[in-house]
Amino acid sequence: MRLLTATGHTIRHSPRLATGLALLALMILLAVLSPVLVDAIGNGKDPLELATYERWLVPSSDHLLGTDQFGRDVLAMVISATSVSLQIGAIAGVISTVVGVIVAFVAGYKGGWVDNVLSTFTGILLVIPTFPLLIALSAYAKNVSLFQVGVMISIFSWPFAAKTIRSQVLSLRSRPYVDLARVSKARDLEIIVTELLPNLLPFIGVGFASSALGAIFGLVGLEVIGLGPGGVIDLGQIIFNAINTGALTLGAWPMFVVPIVLLTVLFAALNMINIGLEEVYNPRLRGVAGE
Amino acid sequence: MTATAPSATVAGESAESAPSRGLRAWLARHPLAAYAIRRFGLYLVELWGALTIAFFFFRMIPGDPIQTLIQTLQQNYVYNQAASAEVIARYQTEFGLDGNIFTQYLKYMQNLILHGDLGPSLINYPTPAQDVILRSLPWTIGLLGIAAAMSWVLGVIIGAIAGWRRGKLGSTIITNLSIALSHVPFFFVALILVYVFAYTLGMLPARSAYDSTITPGFSPDFIGSVIKYGFLPAMSIVLIGTFSWILSTRMLMVPVLGEDYLVYAEAKGLKPWRILTRYALRNCYLPQITAFGISLGFIFNGNVLVEQLFNYPGLGSTLVTAIQQLDFNTILGVTDMAIFSVLTAVLLLDLLLPLLDPRVKYWK
Repeated sequence: MRLLTATGHTIRHSPRLATGLALLALMILLAVLSPVLVDAIGNGKDPLELATYERWLVPSSDHLLGTDQFGRDVLAMVISATSVSLQIGAIAGVISTVVGVIVAFVAGYKGGWVDNVLSTFTGILLVIPTFPLLIALSAYAKNVSLFQVGVMISIFSWPFAAKTIRSQVLSLRSRPYVDLARVSKARDLEIIVTELLPNLLPFIGVGFASSALGAIFGLVGLEVIGLGPGGVIDLGQIIFNAINTGALTLGAWPMFVVPIVLLTVLFAALNMINIGLEEVYNPRLRGVAGE
Repeated sequence: MTATAPSATVAGESAESAPSRGLRAWLARHPLAAYAIRRFGLYLVELWGALTIAFFFFRMIPGDPIQTLIQTLQQNYVYNQAASAEVIARYQTEFGLDGNIFTQYLKYMQNLILHGDLGPSLINYPTPAQDVILRSLPWTIGLLGIAAAMSWVLGVIIGAIAGWRRGKLGSTIITNLSIALSHVPFFFVALILVYVFAYTLGMLPARSAYDSTITPGFSPDFIGSVIKYGFLPAMSIVLIGTFSWILSTRMLMVPVLGEDYLVYAEAKGLKPWRILTRYALRNCYLPQITAFGISLGFIFNGNVLVEQLFNYPGLGSTLVTAIQQLDFNTILGVTDMAIFSVLTAVLLLDLLLPLLDPRVKYWK
């Protein structure tokens, strides 16, 4: 409860964080309601089924964004694709944040050679370009599911989270209240969970938002070169279809402009949350990034 | 592959920390040299670790490049016989795919380090992979390098002004715009630009790097054509890149503005522009130079898609083609190049920074 009021307080005092969270909440709402919305658009028919409508219809009151080359309703596709894109962000975000937090805590709290080894390893992973590896991985892993793609993306994105959080653990480790806990014979795990973790929540939040952002774009990137998971349509795949079927030359702009706008709003929201959280917990930055 | 990197780190450090007594005394007297040696040692460990991980990663991916090659040959030359075991073995030796994975690894590293040889490319057999990469490298460096430099200069200037005039309406708008747009992928902007300027208005070309009717060379026609074709891809990078530099410059700038020496400079009656450029900006452009160096190393990472969209003959397109054709040596070569450039950029900056800024003292 105390945590909740503190969170509420924080959000009220940072308009940027509030805006970011509100935008994200809207997107999540859209994703959660997507089955209902898609049904409503279909009006009895399945708007995502091939050849439900005529092909390449221009936007009208029946089809707000027109239809694609297979006669699917673009608006319905975009709505359900948003939910897929958010899912990949959540899957990869959670995995890489959890791994990153564990590595960061072990490295930062233990220190010494453990820290040296883990930090060097993290540093090595950070310089390997992610995208070629990801392309290679998904090109040969046939019939990958959405979840597997999420796991693949997080293999390469946890080092970013680990790096940010480790430096915070280092600065918190030597605080007096941690020393106090240590001399009062609290166990390591106890100190980490009760003393360090609550103070690091904002940075964990930043790590999560960045990983989610990276994962969503990673999947878009894969889809755009035609290498996504099978059986699902995400926003990247709609863009890929648009490019490949000549929507650019046909002037079917909703097919790529709408996904791009949605993703841009999502990226902006995640970035606002990032910067908002950093401002709140790093008073030196307050007013620095904003106003 | 996880286990190899850490153990090597430990080994590297113990070797470093056990020099003779005289050397240790000398190092104690020359902290800068000791720092440089330590830093260089770390560079070697990181370089080796990253190259090793990349090698084993790409070898673990299932797929038979030799079969692919033979199929291509069969299609191209109507060579309808099934390839004999001898032919396959010959190709395996050529591509460094014979023996178990550790002998393959040792041979690869040996060729790479001693001869700078990445092995033959599969798509362009028998051209070596390094030649394929070097052929596309100038396009990538030219396009991305110029675009990156432009966005850095623009971003630092606008960011400094935005920090300087903080609280003013214009600055607020620019800052919020930067926060909203600095993480948008270049590719999205590229797509919109292509649609508007190439397809709808027909003002600029949408694909390729130059007009294919002009012979490449140092003629004004060819250079003009390269600029014309490079304009849209470069613009998409500059538009978004500038926003992220604005944001980071502003973040560095604002804390500096509260410093006493700026108040003093103002009290002396210096012109605001002089205070901004000579006093305030000087203190925040150094970290930005570091960041620029690092971003140059990473630049190729996010731009595969832009090159792909414009069919630009750079490293990104080469990589995508190589992956589609299972051209291991080229894929690995491109990855190795990227690793090498990031690590070297960071190393050079770490070594140069203490010389540029007397306040930086890493070696303590």
